[in-house]
Amino acid sequence: MLNGRLSLITPEGVRLLLTPAGPAPRAWAWAVDFMLYLVAISLISALFNQFDVGKGIILISAFVLYWGYAILCEVYWDGRTLGKRLLGLQVLRADGLPVGWRESVLRNLLLVGDFLPFFYFTGLLCMLFDTQFRRLGDIVAGTQVVYRDPVVLRPTLQTKPSSETATWALPYALTPEQQRTLIAMFEREKSIPPARMLELANLAQAITGQTGEASLARLRACVLKWQE
Amino acid sequence: MKQKQFEIQNEALWAQINALLDEKNKKKSARSPAEFIEFPALYRRLCQNLALALQRGYSPSLTDYLQKMVGDCHQLLYGTMIERPMTLHRWLMNEFPQRVREEWRLLLFVNVAFWGVGLVVGLLVWFQAEMAYSFMHPEKLEKMRQMYTSGAIDTGRGAEGDFAMFGMYIWNNISIDFRTFGAGVFGGIPALFIMAANGLSMGVVASYLSADPATRHNFWSFVITHGSFEIIGMLLSGVAGMRLGLSLISPGRLSRRRALYAASLRMFPVLVGASILTFIAAFFEAFWSANPVIPHSVKYGVGALCWLLVIAFLIFAGRVRR
Repeated sequence: MLNGRLSLITPEGVRLLLTPAGPAPRAWAWAVDFMLYLVAISLISALFNQFDVGKGIILISAFVLYWGYAILCEVYWDGRTLGKRLLGLQVLRADGLPVGWRESVLRNLLLVGDFLPFFYFTGLLCMLFDTQFRRLGDIVAGTQVVYRDPVVLRPTLQTKPSSETATWALPYALTPEQQRTLIAMFEREKSIPPARMLELANLAQAITGQTGEASLARLRACVLKWQE
Repeated sequence: MKQKQFEIQNEALWAQINALLDEKNKKKSARSPAEFIEFPALYRRLCQNLALALQRGYSPSLTDYLQKMVGDCHQLLYGTMIERPMTLHRWLMNEFPQRVREEWRLLLFVNVAFWGVGLVVGLLVWFQAEMAYSFMHPEKLEKMRQMYTSGAIDTGRGAEGDFAMFGMYIWNNISIDFRTFGAGVFGGIPALFIMAANGLSMGVVASYLSADPATRHNFWSFVITHGSFEIIGMLLSGVAGMRLGLSLISPGRLSRRRALYAASLRMFPVLVGASILTFIAAFFEAFWSANPVIPHSVKYGVGALCWLLVIAFLIFAGRVRR
């Protein structure tokens, strides 16, 4: 796991890449969920306190929200509570599949163990020593918390090269890895400031023989040629 | 093959798979099987695409795109939850009593921790009444005594009061089961401690209230019925928690992680059974035990029957594998 990604090999012979989530985002997700719990409980209390049967309803909903909220969310809602949704996290089984009742119940009841001796100390310690940031509950239930991959959009390279640069060729061939690096740069072009692009193009002077805009145009022409 | 050619060649396949994934995200249940019947074949072609793209060194944006799609498809194909309508029934009727019987040594141990401590402390209080105050606060004991004195208990709590207490028992007692189990992972010591502590307070209160003829029958007729479900439920959650903790201490031939995981799989039906027993106890405690209309003799009879039923269930249920 050199790049922080966990790879599972599927029966089809491809790798699933999962990114385990560390203590910080998980703590934030917990905090969001806990705030929601407090808000919900105070709302329910305010609503039902005036009735005689209200006390029973308040206590039962406190029970269901306290123990059941995370379990129900994880089982019926892709392994994500509202807090995890906000932070882009997801609970999965160790084999990368969605959690079921047993896994979810076990990992959430074991929060009690993770809490001891004070404020999730055991859970934090366990996460820091585990290669996949699993807390005690995750180990017991056989689950893990991972980042949900963002939606990937395939960028299309824009602007055709001018006739002058189109006929231009590199002085020597680049390795596939070098080509990929260059392609990745142009695919990310929209998120890179123009000045930075020019700066990078200046660095390529050794192969393009030009600086600034001219060097950039030549690099772009190369990239388009490789892809088409 | 250049990347552009590859993309043009396979664009239709990716669009088809993306459409299926979108449909799955929109509505989970209403899936037309005709479209999904070819999904595994599409998925395998997609996997081949990804492998080719990686091997040919296509750009990271394309491989990331395919990688993400493969991940989503894997979830859809293998993550489909199999409908197992009888699971809960099987857990409760077969595996729960079977696992409890398998763990009879631990159950015995937990029983000794609970009843043993209760009995010793109870006898101590019985023969030296002032000892009660060294285990429990005098005010609390006095409150207990007033609660079970005829005047208070004869009027009952009313339907609203019963329901409020029902909520209280659910929140309190089932949470204790869960905490016993969850904390049990630390070598089983917290679970054992909770058992002993409960045994202690039960011993003190029972002995203290039995010594006084005004509260004796009020107390025992109140606790006997729901006690069967509640105490056994608590003891079983203690067994489950201790098994978890013991698997950490002596994992046998497994690694500690594996042993914990295996123990949790084995103990899960016991945990579910224990919490359901405690849930039943909350019903009885709220709506039966405190009912002032039912005579003591009926409560004793039903209580004894409940004890017999629960014990008989744990001894005899799930003996025949169907």
